[in-house]
Amino acid sequence: MSSSLSALLPAFWVVTLITAGLNTIITMGLYFSNSAGALSACHAALAGVGGYVAAVLTTNFDWPFPVALLAGAVMGFAIGMLLALVTLRMNELVAGLTTLAFGETMVIIAFNLDYIGGANGFMGIPLQTTFAAVYPLLVLVVFAAWRFDRSRLGYAARACRDNPRAAAAMGINVPWVKTLVFALGSGIAGLGGGLRAHYVLVQNPDDMGFFFSLNYLIFWVFGGSYTFWGPVFGAMFLTILPELLRFSLYDRFIIYGVILTAIVIVRLQGVITRVPLGRRPFFVAWVSRLWRRPVPAASLGGSQGGR
Amino acid sequence: MEQFVQQLVNGIMAGSTYAVVALGFGLVFSVMRVVNLAHPEIFMIGAYVAFVVITGLHVPDAGLDVLAALAVFLGVLLVAMLTTGAAGLVLERLVIRPTRGTYILTPFIATAGVSIALQNSAQRLFGPDPVRVPSVIPAYTFTLGGVRVSSMQLATFLTAVAIMLALRYYVHSTRWGRATRAVAEKPDVAAACGVNVNLVSQLTVGIASIMAGAAGVALGLLYTSAAPFMGLLYGLKSFICMLVAGNRHIEAIMAVGLLLGVVEAMVTGYISSNLRDAVAFALLLAVLFFRPQGLFGSYEV
Repeated sequence: MSSSLSALLPAFWVVTLITAGLNTIITMGLYFSNSAGALSACHAALAGVGGYVAAVLTTNFDWPFPVALLAGAVMGFAIGMLLALVTLRMNELVAGLTTLAFGETMVIIAFNLDYIGGANGFMGIPLQTTFAAVYPLLVLVVFAAWRFDRSRLGYAARACRDNPRAAAAMGINVPWVKTLVFALGSGIAGLGGGLRAHYVLVQNPDDMGFFFSLNYLIFWVFGGSYTFWGPVFGAMFLTILPELLRFSLYDRFIIYGVILTAIVIVRLQGVITRVPLGRRPFFVAWVSRLWRRPVPAASLGGSQGGR
Repeated sequence: MEQFVQQLVNGIMAGSTYAVVALGFGLVFSVMRVVNLAHPEIFMIGAYVAFVVITGLHVPDAGLDVLAALAVFLGVLLVAMLTTGAAGLVLERLVIRPTRGTYILTPFIATAGVSIALQNSAQRLFGPDPVRVPSVIPAYTFTLGGVRVSSMQLATFLTAVAIMLALRYYVHSTRWGRATRAVAEKPDVAAACGVNVNLVSQLTVGIASIMAGAAGVALGLLYTSAAPFMGLLYGLKSFICMLVAGNRHIEAIMAVGLLLGVVEAMVTGYISSNLRDAVAFALLLAVLFFRPQGLFGSYEV
């Protein structure tokens, strides 16, 4: 598979596409986790935990790769469930901050555990992840998200996000749905982390920090947090965009930042939403947004997010 | 005991800049419910303005007498505050105003894009390595009962205290400050009473940016360096100060900023400098666990 692929695509694009696929899987985890109204700022940490677990199992215990991946996902699921139980009663913002602090705590723990390499990171991981391993799994995850959106659990999760009180009145077990959905997403992030560890071949503590989690949050919100195509698009587009901008090596992240900001301003709820695209040209839309009358901050939260 | 007092003093000196940056986060969050991720980069701009102005003036390294040094320091501070204040006003107009009031993460991501662009612009203009900011304040060490304080530390601390007092005066004792508090409390009611909410919001971001710029100058001179990514960890820690304190009281944010500086200094002095950066997160975790609304007040989303 990968040999026939390299005949079709230059090696550079294979690398980029695999990276994009890995990012997409982890961002899909974020989509699941946040679909019931939680706000996770620690998906890089959950992915990192999955990566450490899978890497230790394949490297030190010679477990087969798929089983190790599964173990990483299960570990992510378990930790996600714990985290969801802890943050259940908090409001959205505070829950997000707790996950932030949790992620940084994981960095510090990994930093001080000599068994997994400490500050140098865990090295010597065998190369297992190929294009042929990433994309079927990605398709599987996206398919799961598609089914999830139309399942009882998916509807329940969205009801919890939009209005937990009404959801509870309709007989939805809100704490259970929120916990389960968060844990599912964490498991997917753990899976993606395991895949990434066997591709990058080193698992660093720093990869679990807030600034990596922030990337996934950006992918998720940028693409549109209400449909499962949103995160897929966001992660793919924003991973590939800097590579497309390589023609100017020094300015590419400047352009990246400007494009990110401009698109968020024009598409306030992410690129892919159920709101139809406007007919106005991009620049006109942005300029007209500058004169938009902001909603007073106190009446926030009703339209999206909820509390 | 002497070491303890020394670490205490060092901590207070370093913590005062955390407090100033955290106050900026707190102000903007209270008034607009916006987490301004570009705030740390405005702080970084302050440090680079100090670098540009001081190297442009060809100030001899520590060769000035006290009055000239003070004049240069205040001049640099003024230029940096004007630059970052203007940057803040533009940022509010172009990025925050069109995105706020929708979903808490929308302005968050929009300012994250600005922050990425600013970091990389700084990298493009000044190179990825830290640049050396010449120290204008003559190096002198005051000794009081075995506790040493350098002149630069003192200048940093005094700058921070002056800014905090000025902010306190503005918020509590001026007309605009009252309008700011009204908007923070209830924007719709404030608007009904004739407060120009948009203008107040813009001014708030401007003031927060001015404070961040001053803190950037002070810190750049204190550590004699400025780097494109200096805002990242610093900003995150300041943000955590704001969260730990809660955004209700200015004094609380100041106190927690100083507290973080002191605890970091103690950890560096008595345990290990590796754990220094962990302190802020441990503090956040502990506070969120016991008081999810912050130590001194609530943040309602």
